[in-house]
Amino acid sequence: MRHPGHWIGAVVLFICAAVFLEILVTNQNLQWPVVASYLFSPDILEGLGRTILLTLLSMVIGLAVGVVLAIMRLSANRLFRVVSWGWIWFFRGVPPLVQMIFWYNFALLMPEVSIGIPFGGPKLAAWDTNTLISPFSAAILGLAFTESAYAAEMLRAGIQAVSGGQTEAAATLGMTQLQTLRRIVLPQALRIVIPPIGNDTISMLKFTSLVSVLALPDLLYSAQMIYARTYQTIPLLVVATLWYLVLTTVLTVLEHAVERSFSVGETSRRAHTPWWQRLFRRPFARQREQAA
Amino acid sequence: MAGPLLKVERLHKAFGTHEVLRGIDLEIDEGEVMCIVGPSGSGKSTLLRCLNYLEKPKSGAVFLKDEPIGVRWQGDRLYEMTFDQLARQRRRMGMVFQGFHLFPHKTVLENVIEAPIIVNRTPRRKAVEEAMALLEKVGMKDRAHYHPAQLSGGQQQRTAIARSLAMRPELMLFDEPTSALDPELVGEVLATMHQLADEGMTMVVVTHEMGFAREVADELVFMDEGVIVEQGKPADVLLNPQHERTQTFLARMREEA
Repeated sequence: MRHPGHWIGAVVLFICAAVFLEILVTNQNLQWPVVASYLFSPDILEGLGRTILLTLLSMVIGLAVGVVLAIMRLSANRLFRVVSWGWIWFFRGVPPLVQMIFWYNFALLMPEVSIGIPFGGPKLAAWDTNTLISPFSAAILGLAFTESAYAAEMLRAGIQAVSGGQTEAAATLGMTQLQTLRRIVLPQALRIVIPPIGNDTISMLKFTSLVSVLALPDLLYSAQMIYARTYQTIPLLVVATLWYLVLTTVLTVLEHAVERSFSVGETSRRAHTPWWQRLFRRPFARQREQAA
Repeated sequence: MAGPLLKVERLHKAFGTHEVLRGIDLEIDEGEVMCIVGPSGSGKSTLLRCLNYLEKPKSGAVFLKDEPIGVRWQGDRLYEMTFDQLARQRRRMGMVFQGFHLFPHKTVLENVIEAPIIVNRTPRRKAVEEAMALLEKVGMKDRAHYHPAQLSGGQQQRTAIARSLAMRPELMLFDEPTSALDPELVGEVLATMHQLADEGMTMVVVTHEMGFAREVADELVFMDEGVIVEQGKPADVLLNPQHERTQTFLARMREEA
């Protein structure tokens, strides 16, 4: 035997996996029939839909704000840089859970939100904060602003990774700064940050479970509401777990598909590897492919 | 009589305390091909990059048809142009880089039509028509739908030339266009440039290709340590150099060849 360590490790892992499977099959407390009966129940599906909506909305808003922040961070204007830095510092530093609770209680700080001349000038329009802030909008604000801070840093790295030669080539063709950014730099930067954005989307999906503190019936809170009534705690947590796993798997496959469609022509060889192989490829395989 | 197309006056450039250009004066007429040669570090690439203001000169000026590049008069005061005002002037000068700098996320054709459509607002169909004609000229028509990563260096550089020409520049700047190429690919790019010169394009070429300079250039400029040491007809400079530094440089080039 050339690799006795491999064999010993394999046997130990096999035994562990077998024990785990045995628990899944034989432990009566899991109550698989109950899991099955709730898996597609209307309450759970509605919660699932809300989880997906929260994830997508937070990511879209977060990325849009993140693009603006990244551009401000790289601006020649010092004020832009400072404001962007401050925003990123604040929203990356405060946990999303704290932010959500804070936004939800925003009316205690500012009873009214208005547009007009600041410092006591006339108001053009005003709203009661309590009508603006629902559990849903508080959740979106907390999640999206956190994401904007992370997205800004990723995008900044992506923009900086686009070579200076690209901007120079665009400049010599007579493109303005905005045209260069929009047509040349951002498309390339976005390509670079697709993998980290994919990761962030999966993180965001899981972060949405925090909204249960706002009594917002997402996937987790819907399950919690049911087991608060029926005391079938474990089976309903299994229902939620299964759906989270389904969603993360779908997102992973989606990310690989997007990554592939964007990289057509750049690395033609990789485009022919099916996604299920790339899903389980060894770490750093991509870097090695590119180096080759 | 009309003045020169491009005029450089007392141009100085420094990176920190290091003086790269120390007083350059040049005139380039319409239809003229000027080759700039010299040892590395002599400032020739920096000079080229000052012509379209990719580098900001420390002092001195560049004029394109009597219009100063990168600065403008307002009343009797001189202001530096904004990036977008500069863009309008840069359109008039094409530039080809040592590293090609094609847009990797676009096909050959998309690289060529990008600026005409975005900058000049040429209708797409007309832009494609003109681009295909240019690609045929540089021998890249059959590769129009390839991405840059699928092309050889020579093909990429010929595409870059077509991309510049698509903006119908008044002159073309070449910054060591063949220095990053495998030796067997140099010829095809030089042939494209030769053809362009024959068609009457005004060109400023920084190069190490002495053969090209001798054959194509109307004027040869030898630079060393930030100044023009010698300039004249290529045959005169190459065969009968007056300065010791030119002689040393040419002797070394011949050894390498």
